[in-house]
Amino acid sequence: MRRSRVLLVDDEEIFARNMSKLLMKRGYEVTVVNGGAAAIRALTSQDFDVMVLDLKMPGTDGMGTLRQVKKLGIPVETLILTGHGSIETAIEAVRLGAYDYLTKPCQIEQLVAKIGLAHAGEDYH
Amino acid sequence: MVLQNGREEKSIRDSGLVAALRDPYWRTFLRFVAVTMMYAMVPLLVVGWAINTYYCDFSRASMMNEVRDEVNRHYRGIQVFFQELNSKLQLIAHTHSREYLCDTTNLGQIFELMNRQELTITDLGVIDHNGRHLAYVGPYDLVDKDYSQSHWFREVMEQGLYISDMFLGFRMEPHFIIALTASSNGERWVLRATVNTQAFRSLVENVLIGRTGEVYLVNREGVFQTSPRFSHTIMETAPFDIPPRHEGIKTLIYEGESRDGRKSPRQLMSLAWLDAPPWLLVVKQDLAEALDVVSHANLAVLMFLLLSAVTVLAVSAMMGRHLIKTMQQQDRETAELRCQLSRADTLASLGELSAGLAHEMNHPLAISLTIQERLRSSLPDGPDLVPEIRAQLVGSLSQIEVQLQCCQRITTNLLRFSRRTRPVLEKVYLNRFIMEVIELVEREAWASGVAFFADLEEGLPTIVSDPSQLQQVFLDLFSNAVNAHDGKGYGSVTIQTRSDDEARARGHAIMVRISDTGQGIVKEQPPQNFDPLDATRPNGRKTGLGLSISAIAIKQLGGSLSITSCPGEGTDFAIYFPLSPPPELLDQMARDALSRDKLTC
Repeated sequence: MRRSRVLLVDDEEIFARNMSKLLMKRGYEVTVVNGGAAAIRALTSQDFDVMVLDLKMPGTDGMGTLRQVKKLGIPVETLILTGHGSIETAIEAVRLGAYDYLTKPCQIEQLVAKIGLAHAGEDYH
Repeated sequence: MVLQNGREEKSIRDSGLVAALRDPYWRTFLRFVAVTMMYAMVPLLVVGWAINTYYCDFSRASMMNEVRDEVNRHYRGIQVFFQELNSKLQLIAHTHSREYLCDTTNLGQIFELMNRQELTITDLGVIDHNGRHLAYVGPYDLVDKDYSQSHWFREVMEQGLYISDMFLGFRMEPHFIIALTASSNGERWVLRATVNTQAFRSLVENVLIGRTGEVYLVNREGVFQTSPRFSHTIMETAPFDIPPRHEGIKTLIYEGESRDGRKSPRQLMSLAWLDAPPWLLVVKQDLAEALDVVSHANLAVLMFLLLSAVTVLAVSAMMGRHLIKTMQQQDRETAELRCQLSRADTLASLGELSAGLAHEMNHPLAISLTIQERLRSSLPDGPDLVPEIRAQLVGSLSQIEVQLQCCQRITTNLLRFSRRTRPVLEKVYLNRFIMEVIELVEREAWASGVAFFADLEEGLPTIVSDPSQLQQVFLDLFSNAVNAHDGKGYGSVTIQTRSDDEARARGHAIMVRISDTGQGIVKEQPPQNFDPLDATRPNGRKTGLGLSISAIAIKQLGGSLSITSCPGEGTDFAIYFPLSPPPELLDQMARDALSRDKLTC
């Protein structure tokens, strides 16, 4: 089976680096970018299965990036992973088309499980 | 010792006064009274001054007119006296011949006729053109006395009528004469009479004007022709300059000597010159007495102003006291409101701080958790690591993970707390609201093998509530329902909304029922005393703080929560909401809003 390609979008360098190592250790192919604009560039230049997206970032924030992804019709499942989560932002993100919503800090296994579900592309309905 | 005590008392009084003056309410009171007094008294003083001035002018003019009338009356009386005397003598001289009058018997009869009603003249005589006294009736023997060299004789022969000033003569008592000429057989002769000065003087000297008024006559040389009432006597020289002759009555304010020689008070003086003799009629009165009415008016005005000032002071003091009391009451209320608002703001700030802190904490926590995971996964297997050290490292990493998860729970609770600091009421469409929350937890539930079913009543009425708290309540309860399936491979959560009789029977309008097929809850207390904090899952895990916070939030929003559970089969949460929030919540919000409005104003 092909390795899942994950785009990790987070401006927290240490978190992103450690998280990418953990994901890679679990067999994922991980690309790390530090902002919304870089994420769009990466998504338009290569294919990803899942994008793990932080909400609060300098420049284009997570919501803006998600809107742009949907607008451009890029086929990638998005998991929101943020430290500034609230019920309102979660509802908004799901409405914009995010696959799921996680708040920092979260268990690596929890994230891996969500990535697995998102990559499988299974519709739970 | 007494002196020292006195000083101490004064010092205490002074310090009390200083403290009172430092009191802002006392200062405001004094300022209010002073301003009120000023605004009230200034117009009063102006009006009082205007009325007083007008009244004084009016009274002075009236008084002057009265004095003028008085002088005029006396003037006419004296003039009439002289005219009557003159007329009588003229009548005698022109209706009788000199020869007839030279008969002493005839002259005596006429003398008696003239004095019949009143003693007017003291003697009567006939003098020929040479100045020889031809006939005489009176107390002295003056027949054959020669007056040819006398001043009066020359004057009467020249002018036809002569009235002398007062003089002593050989009688050594003040008297004056009146003489006129007549002709018989071409020869001029003189009829002369000595006037009874007592009768004449009583005509002037008996006039009394008030306590200080006096009337007298003075000739051109300044010699008194009658005795003044208080000082000097007849024939003495007046202590003031005689003004030149003038027509009519002249009134002036005179400042001269007093009766005892000292500087006299100001006097009102009226002057009128008689036609004949050329004497000056003087009527005097102290100005103070003359203006007595004005003084009374001044005193009355002063008393009125004083009374007004006292009244204004009393009224303004009462008003000021009331004002200060009202101000103190309002200040107390404002301070209380400020305190309440401060508490609310502190709580809100604390909420914001908590939220910020929780959000900021989440980042290092996330980093720490990932590093801990990396360390755990990096531990080498096999003989490279001593088993004891490996065990210690694994134990330490597990402890770090536990502590990090504890921190995570703390930040989650801080975020929940921050949402409850200030309620906001809005219209809430419960069905749509519930669907939004279901969307949020549905994926995770699906991953756990739990399916969500929504049985929502169409046309459910909207309620007025706090959407933020409701979101948290539903999220907690839905998550709780999903987590209740731990150990079960599959299950379902059914959400039902109703506005039926069951809800109304409990005094509410809407019911939301959350039914799960999970492990159920073990109740350690009877159902009526159910405390969510003590609720326990069959596997021994607590249901968590979320359920208790939800129960409190529902109660705060005016709702109620009822739980029915069967261990191993599932739990049924029934939440009942009113259409509008409870009065206590509205009152609290109204007070908060009022406090803000008042302080903003």
